[in-house]
Amino acid sequence: MEDCDGMLQPVELQDFFITFFSAAMVILFGALYAMLFAWGRLHNRPRLVWWGYAAYAGLVAAVLTLADATHLTGLWTWLVVAMLVGYLVAPHAIWHLCQGTHAGMEDEEAAAGQGRASPVHPAQR
Amino acid sequence: MTRVGVLDSSNLTGGQRLAVKYFTVALVLFGAQILFGLLAGLQYLKPDFLYGVLDFNVNRMVHINAMVVWMLYGFLGSVYWLMEDEAQHPVVGLKLGEIAFWVLTLAVTVVVLVYLFVQYGPGDIKTIWFINEGREYIEAPRWADIGIVVVVLVFYFNVLATFIKGRFTGIGGVIVLDLFALAGLYLAGMFFTPNISIDQYWWWWVIHLWVEATWEVLVGAIMAWGLMKTLGVSRRIVQTWLYIEVALMFGSGILGLGHHYFWIGTPDYWFEIGGFFSALEPIPLVAMVVHSLYDAGKHHMKSSNHPALAWLIAHAFGNFLGAGVWGFMHTLPQINLYTHGTQWTPSHGHLAFFGAYATINIAFFYLAAQQWRGNVYMGAGIAGAWRWKWALTLLSVGVLGMTMALLIAGYEQSFIERAINGSTWAGYFEAQNHPWFQQAMWWRQIFGWVTAAGYLLLVWDLLAIGAGETRTATRVGHESEEAEAGAEAAPATA
Ligand code: HEM
Ligand code: HEM
Ligand SMILES: [Fe+2]
Repeated sequence: MEDCDGMLQPVELQDFFITFFSAAMVILFGALYAMLFAWGRLHNRPRLVWWGYAAYAGLVAAVLTLADATHLTGLWTWLVVAMLVGYLVAPHAIWHLCQGTHAGMEDEEAAAGQGRASPVHPAQR
Repeated sequence: MTRVGVLDSSNLTGGQRLAVKYFTVALVLFGAQILFGLLAGLQYLKPDFLYGVLDFNVNRMVHINAMVVWMLYGFLGSVYWLMEDEAQHPVVGLKLGEIAFWVLTLAVTVVVLVYLFVQYGPGDIKTIWFINEGREYIEAPRWADIGIVVVVLVFYFNVLATFIKGRFTGIGGVIVLDLFALAGLYLAGMFFTPNISIDQYWWWWVIHLWVEATWEVLVGAIMAWGLMKTLGVSRRIVQTWLYIEVALMFGSGILGLGHHYFWIGTPDYWFEIGGFFSALEPIPLVAMVVHSLYDAGKHHMKSSNHPALAWLIAHAFGNFLGAGVWGFMHTLPQINLYTHGTQWTPSHGHLAFFGAYATINIAFFYLAAQQWRGNVYMGAGIAGAWRWKWALTLLSVGVLGMTMALLIAGYEQSFIERAINGSTWAGYFEAQNHPWFQQAMWWRQIFGWVTAAGYLLLVWDLLAIGAGETRTATRVGHESEEAEAGAEAAPATA
């Protein structure tokens, strides 16, 4: 692959396993973080949110390991940045949007006179 | 008149009756897929098995074409299924839709017979027109392609006209726009060029932009509707999620196409584009799994149709694992250089197609079975519940087992064939003869039989579930009506 004018430096043989493993961990930690974040916020349990951030720390470690094994330098640095930022902010952004829709729904229901058991958990108000 | 517990078409609306026709053919073709998968798998173990009668290339072709077609039948059925409810209007032009179904089914039958009995022809234009076009997954000859396009136009007319005459919801809007893209992309796989790089370039528009963009969005919309129906999640919530997912999916998936342009003779900039965007594709899949677990948990798994909900959750997980995790593991060119052309790809392909698309279609088969028997009770404690649970378990374990076996084989090949031996002919054989590879092929076959057992149980269950049951389905209302609905529901006898 030397002919790829330096744009691409293939993974070393001894790094195959670490490449697959860290790649899988990026996604799994990403999901774990999103899940803990959502549950923690929803049920007003800050501890869970902190565990979520711990999962995100795991994601950072996995991304950096992967970046090292697959030589993500030069232009490829942007990919590292995009993954680190993307996974960090996605749950926050989604949370705000969901909260927005839930709040809107509450108004609608109140207007319709059927706002009894609110679908919005107390922690969210 | 609804007759609970009895399979009676008068329990269905017009659109639903057409939907169950599509579902029935889908289920049959799913069986064909598995049968030919088993034959192809056996030929890895016993290369002269059926040699000269049904060669590996024929079995493989029937295996994966049956898959694409049964899934498309499932999607068409699902859209017919939900369309009237969503648009609040009967299907416009239903008669035409019925005719289109029969024309399509006849065409599929002829194509399969030609695949099996004619198999292949000389490398000329007649073969492309009448036998097989030679593009993996969409090998149907050109006459059938044109027929498919016509049928899809009729289907599209049904969908568009029904939503226009009825009402346009967010889900409806996403379906209408997405189907347009999905059908349009099919055209990219139809013309002929003698240059293999150009040919592959366009062929991937169909394959990749189907499974990683338009199909994903379509099942996103179907899933949104499914969650409203089985759990009673409110429309506002599922639609907000749907819009986010659509934006993220198209945002990453369209240029993610570049991960197929690493080694086919396309320019080098595809390394960066493909690597970058496809690496972001798992983000919406992460969002989806969080979303569905969150909704299911919030509703304490209390649903009107347990098997359907279980399969919807299997869809969220399967999509996440098969496409998200397995896809990401080999998507960077720095590693794809070695995994490309090994069993790594089928490992990902099996888990992704099953996890993302077989699952959600099966969920809709269960919704159909429920309504067909007069909206029969399908909550906890339904008679014979072991069947659907075991079908789900066997199918999932079977496919996961095949996936792991292929992963081991692919790992070994990427080492020995690709890295150490530099993709030489000798390296290819050395990798194929390695004990890890040989044993992995046996394990794939064993788990294939497990999958097949799950399929048989699934068919039995779909035919039998709800028979003789007299209770009607638990109502899942709007979230705020939950308490009320719970009180009305027949008590579960779990
Ligand atoms: C439900 C969604 C998906 C399905 C059904 C699916 C299915 C498949 C299939 C069947 C192939 C093999 C195609 C062939 O015959 O050559 C393939 C290739 C590939 N997929 Fe996916 N896939 C999905 C999503 C993803 C995602 C999200 C990623 C990346 C994160 C990904 C990465 C890849 C790569 C890199 C290849 C090329 C492998 C190679 O040729 O070396 N896939 N996919
Ligand atoms: C029931 C047992 C099954 C067996 C024994 C089996 C076996 C096989 C075999 C031998 C191939 C050809 C691989 C090659 O070219 O080396 C194949 C390809 C494929 N099968 Fe299956 N299969 C089974 C079930 C399934 C299921 C349930 C799905 C998805 C829903 C599926 C999806 C695919 C796909 C997408 C490919 C093309 C993969 C690629 O080219 O990367 N198969 N299968
Ligand atoms: Fe792709």
